[in-house]
Amino acid sequence: MAKARALDKRRRSVKSIRKITRTMELISRAQFKRAMDRASAATAYTRRITDLVAHLAAAGMQVKHPLLTPHAENKSMVLLVLTANRGLCGGYNSGVLRASQAAMTERAEQWGEVRLEVSGKRGAANFKFRKIPTAETYTHFNEKVRFDQVNLLATRYLDEYAAGSLDRLDVAYMKFESLSRQYPVVETLLPMGRLGDHSAAGLGGPQYDFLPSAESILDEVVPAAFKAQLFKCFLDAAVSEQIARMVAMKAATENADAMISLLSMSYNRARQGQITGELLEIIGGAEAVQ
Amino acid sequence: MQCVLVTPEATLLDSQAEFVALTLFDGEIGIGPGHAPLIGRLGCGEMRIRQADKQRRFYIEGGFVEVCNDVVSVLTGRAVEAEKIDSAEAERLLAEALHLSPRTPEQFAQRDRTAAQARAMLRVARA
Repeated sequence: MAKARALDKRRRSVKSIRKITRTMELISRAQFKRAMDRASAATAYTRRITDLVAHLAAAGMQVKHPLLTPHAENKSMVLLVLTANRGLCGGYNSGVLRASQAAMTERAEQWGEVRLEVSGKRGAANFKFRKIPTAETYTHFNEKVRFDQVNLLATRYLDEYAAGSLDRLDVAYMKFESLSRQYPVVETLLPMGRLGDHSAAGLGGPQYDFLPSAESILDEVVPAAFKAQLFKCFLDAAVSEQIARMVAMKAATENADAMISLLSMSYNRARQGQITGELLEIIGGAEAVQ
Repeated sequence: MQCVLVTPEATLLDSQAEFVALTLFDGEIGIGPGHAPLIGRLGCGEMRIRQADKQRRFYIEGGFVEVCNDVVSVLTGRAVEAEKIDSAEAERLLAEALHLSPRTPEQFAQRDRTAAQARAMLRVARA
């Protein structure tokens, strides 16, 4: 009976693992939906900001701002890496970390020291393991990341950039393109380069009144656009994480299913073999008695 | 006149309105139907929307207002409905900000910003 019982035990443990992976899949499916709604709400905001900039440009306003132009000297840069707080999400964390590693070695040639800031326990643990020093680690950005949390971070970067202690900010994260396509990217957020699409310039839309003045609005719109962009990075990362977990857990559940049926087959075979063996023994014994 | 209130987290309002009053960077503005196209910089303070049967009030924190084709779009970093403002929290923030002893211009600016936000929030909560 020994072998059959061992197989049954294994099958039971695989069944309980399947229950867990199945639940995790369902949870991340629900969280993905929520994260997706938030991401589309943020997109609405960014789109309106971009429209606003286009209107400013259309009004003949020169879109110029300290945040849009690179600093003269390249001294310090920050690489912000967005990873998950939890694992069990397939290649999500390793993908982002690999991209950030490649970016770091590439940027290090030009910038010397790259200040590393990591969000997520997984990334922090990885850099600690590889003995790469990190300037900051954040673990409070989860799948329900709020704008005021990101706002604090963004304000700090903006202050540092204005003060000249930060010349460039890169963010490594998993970009969400569609449900079936997410890929790790390293994007430069500061200096911002260009703001939106200025193709509306010169088309002569409605004549806007600017209160208090176009310059004052531009002073505010550029930081707002930066904050929205950074927030979008966090939201994209959250959506991609949930998708990655969903896919990984779906695969795990399917694997568990396959394993359960395999184990069931071997168990049944072992049990049948045992019964046959016992029958043979009884028949053999009975014949010996006759 | 249509009125849309958008924050990075959600679209809080998208409905018809008869009149909208907003706190701008340097004063208050009232917008009625058929207002001329306008882009304004918002301050911290109250946003009032009069709809057919009721009036709604929000606390908003910075951002922009754009009026075009009888649509008032309000983009703000943060918007809280007046009834949902946590006065105790705002008072705590205000006391905290006033107790700071800033040393650099940036710290001064930050203290003033926090204090102004907390005061505006309390004002909206009390009104």
